[in-house]
Amino acid sequence: MADNLAVDKIGLERAESRLAKSLAGFKLGDTVFHLLTLAAAWAVLILLGGVIASLVLGSMPAIKAFGLNFLSTEAWNPVTEKFGAMAPVYGTIVTSLIAMAIAVPSAMAIAIFLTELCPFTLRKPIGIAIELLAGIPSIIYGIWGLFVLAPFLQEHVEPGLIATFANVPVLSKLFAGPPYGIGVLTAGIILAVMVLPIVTSISRDVFETVSPVLKEAAYAVGCTTWEVIRSVVIPYTRVGLIGGVMLGLGRALGETMAVTFVIGNAHKIAPSLLAPGTTISATIANEFTEAVGDLYTSALIALGLILFVITFIILAISRYMLMRLHQQEGR
Amino acid sequence: MNDVSNLKPAPEADSAATISAEMPAQEAESRATISADPPAQEPAPKADSPAKILAGAISNLEQKVTVRNLNFYYGDSLALKNVSLPLCAKKVTAFIGPSGCGKSTLLRVLNRMYDLYPKQRAEGEVLLDGVNILRPEQDLNLLRARVGMVFQKPTPFPMSIHDNIAFGLKLYEKLPKSELADRVEAALKRAALWDEVKDKLYASGLSLSGGQQQRLCIARTVALQPEVILLDEPCSALDPISTSKVEETIDELKENYTIAIVTHNMQQAARVSDHTAFMYLGELIEFGITAQVFTSPEKKQTQNYITGRFG
Repeated sequence: MADNLAVDKIGLERAESRLAKSLAGFKLGDTVFHLLTLAAAWAVLILLGGVIASLVLGSMPAIKAFGLNFLSTEAWNPVTEKFGAMAPVYGTIVTSLIAMAIAVPSAMAIAIFLTELCPFTLRKPIGIAIELLAGIPSIIYGIWGLFVLAPFLQEHVEPGLIATFANVPVLSKLFAGPPYGIGVLTAGIILAVMVLPIVTSISRDVFETVSPVLKEAAYAVGCTTWEVIRSVVIPYTRVGLIGGVMLGLGRALGETMAVTFVIGNAHKIAPSLLAPGTTISATIANEFTEAVGDLYTSALIALGLILFVITFIILAISRYMLMRLHQQEGR
Repeated sequence: MNDVSNLKPAPEADSAATISAEMPAQEAESRATISADPPAQEPAPKADSPAKILAGAISNLEQKVTVRNLNFYYGDSLALKNVSLPLCAKKVTAFIGPSGCGKSTLLRVLNRMYDLYPKQRAEGEVLLDGVNILRPEQDLNLLRARVGMVFQKPTPFPMSIHDNIAFGLKLYEKLPKSELADRVEAALKRAALWDEVKDKLYASGLSLSGGQQQRLCIARTVALQPEVILLDEPCSALDPISTSKVEETIDELKENYTIAIVTHNMQQAARVSDHTAFMYLGELIEFGITAQVFTSPEKKQTQNYITGRFG
């Protein structure tokens, strides 16, 4: 009897120790997993810090040589080693603005059509086609822009723009000069095509989050489809829409290859949108291989730093706007 | 005299499945002719004596909405089977029955909300003041202005409390600011919400509590001065206090409006409604004066449901 009890006790202890062992194994796994994910999170921060540090270090010579004048100087002369960032910064911002001005309304229209109006059978094919647009490599947009879009604009669109706005006070300045085909406007249009799929698919996903009951409630007040979209769907999804637009803007600012093909790569600021210009990323891509001398290289890196800062500011602004919206809505 | 019982399926058919299949043609026909009778011009005098209510035939009342032989399909599946009943003017009609029996579907036919979805369709007739609203040329925006709806979940629009109500008004009329403010105030008072929100009219409608949001939705519907108000389980997401407030609101509203309410709460149906329709598996099993349906239902199924033996 006592023996039996003792045996049982031993068995119980064995089972307990087995359990403890496997539990310890789990615990080890948990710890390792925790450390792994922690390391991955830190790696991102360290990489980001490294990128910023190397950008700042690399651009030090240019900053020392030109100071803040670097931002306000238009000249870019590798021979005399006089560099200024104003032309590429201007080109970057203007091409991106043109792109957003074209892409955002069309993307919204497509997203609204796909979610609210499109017959069910067409939704999938159109949606997929738009997502495929996003998958086309940017070099292909570049080639297409240079060989197809630019000549087309040169022959059929730009002469018309110049003639139409010749007598309009401000617009005559914007659309002036010989129609080159390549230039700021062409780059903006290419960027618009490239940004369109991102903004469209985000807007579509965001529109789909509106609960059908809310839309029905709006219809129940007697709204037409347009009134439902304008007064309920879009206000309800504002935050998400702004996020999508900002992501698109981020891509437009940083896009390199396609823009380099069609913008003309001229380091000057012309009032006309038809004139050639340049952007930060196009300048870096074009000139990095032939940059001789520390100052030249450093000036290019400083351009990169400026692009980084611009993108950062835009993200910060969008964050701030989203925060304000949340506060306004009281939720 | 056509009384309520003529609207009901033949008594010998007790299983739901056989009612529509074995309904004698004559019965169906007589049912059609009943509802086809022009609504009596003189509304019955209001509540003389309980006995008179019980005995009084619903067909004596003015019919605001008349549903006739309505079949409704979700794709291929039949969700409403040959439903016929009236909604009497300035009365509250409650729809009860287990989930999926077609109560909400019927409500969604009355303002043609189903029209938003391509695979849903209705056959039969729904007369609003004698005009068939199922006809294709019916102006849907106008219909929905005349037949308002409050949903199961509160659905405030993403805008301020004031704008939630002004929004619908602005769709139809161009009102000066002061009049708009008056109309908003009146609507909020009707929905018993004014005292709680008068100091924060420009706060977001989403910042209100669930019960307040639901009353905001009722106010929004009332502001448009519809003729018929459809309430689809308006209290299912509310606490008892909010529920009683909404019920008080309904009680006040019926002086001016024709109201249809879907509810899973038997006590609520008994409290707020004048007429009750019991539905089961897409069919109208029993329709009559509420007191009668709840105290001495004619159908076994109705009795079982009301006493909680099934459903």
